[in-house]
Amino acid sequence: MTNPVTHDRRHFEDLAVGEVIDLGHTTVSKDMIITFAREFDPFPFHLDEEAAKTSLLGGLASSGWQTGGLSLKMLVDSFLSKIASCGGLGFNDLKWKTPVMVGDTIGGTVTIAELRRSSSHPQWGIVTMDFDVRNQKDKPVMTMRLANLVECRQAEVPA
Amino acid sequence: MTRWFEDITIDEDFPLGSHTFSAEEIIRFATLYDPQYFHVDPELAKQSHFGGLIASGWHTVSVGHRKMVDALFAEEDRLRGLGQEPGVSGPSPGVNSMEFKAPVRPGDTVTYTLTVTGKRASNSIPGWGLLFNRLVAINQHGEMVYKSDLVGFSKLRDYQMPAKLRVLLALTKVPVLGKLISRRS
Repeated sequence: MTNPVTHDRRHFEDLAVGEVIDLGHTTVSKDMIITFAREFDPFPFHLDEEAAKTSLLGGLASSGWQTGGLSLKMLVDSFLSKIASCGGLGFNDLKWKTPVMVGDTIGGTVTIAELRRSSSHPQWGIVTMDFDVRNQKDKPVMTMRLANLVECRQAEVPA
Repeated sequence: MTRWFEDITIDEDFPLGSHTFSAEEIIRFATLYDPQYFHVDPELAKQSHFGGLIASGWHTVSVGHRKMVDALFAEEDRLRGLGQEPGVSGPSPGVNSMEFKAPVRPGDTVTYTLTVTGKRASNSIPGWGLLFNRLVAINQHGEMVYKSDLVGFSKLRDYQMPAKLRVLLALTKVPVLGKLISRRS
């Protein structure tokens, strides 16, 4: 049974370890930071410039969850919407290294670290990807290892 | 929790409350942060193995974070009501692991629980401690939606700054010298 949404897209068999995906860029505005923080992370250091100055972040900075979300959006646009993705399994070792301040531009790369067939579902493979998100000064902003399910063209492992 | 680092108890469950996800908010979040077809298009989503629209994992996790922040604020109010000075929570350095277990569909109600599984003083930031938090999300059928191990900062109440750090901090207040010191560190 083929999925009409994804049948033209790259499948598990078309991916290779070491493939590097360019994330492009996103500039983070004060409005974006405050809108996200109001709904999901209403600490004063994500909402109020004065309170942020005296916090560990040293100024108004995006929620780490927003930084991750914006990085994920860039991966969807550049990669996940072009493969037969069937959802995320989770992630490991997420590190927020440098706060993303108002006006910063983030971008970077995602590298395919591992490809393996699912042992429980022969129609799926698992692609593991390493994020290296940086700001406009090339300073590391966030790293993580994300695991995502991808449809296989052929359910059985070729002999 | 918004208690001083010293007062935070290990392996005690803190209920963070529940959230019911609507189709509208699932699509709104995913459009901005995770626009895969099964998160943004209810018709196309029927073709996926999920059989319909589901929330982005990043969305359910962001709501879980909001629930934790609300609980911190509530604890702060409670301590103030008792005439005590609340502690201070800081930003998070990261997440050790996150496992998405069951999809969240429109109308699902997810209940979040936080447990502090460990704590230690920070090596890199004097005066602060690290908290190791487990955050678990369960749906209305009792299925686990996700399980995560998070790291957070919490301020120490009883911290005495070493003499040489106090001198360094005083020097950063001298105009030109302060710039040089902060550039070095």
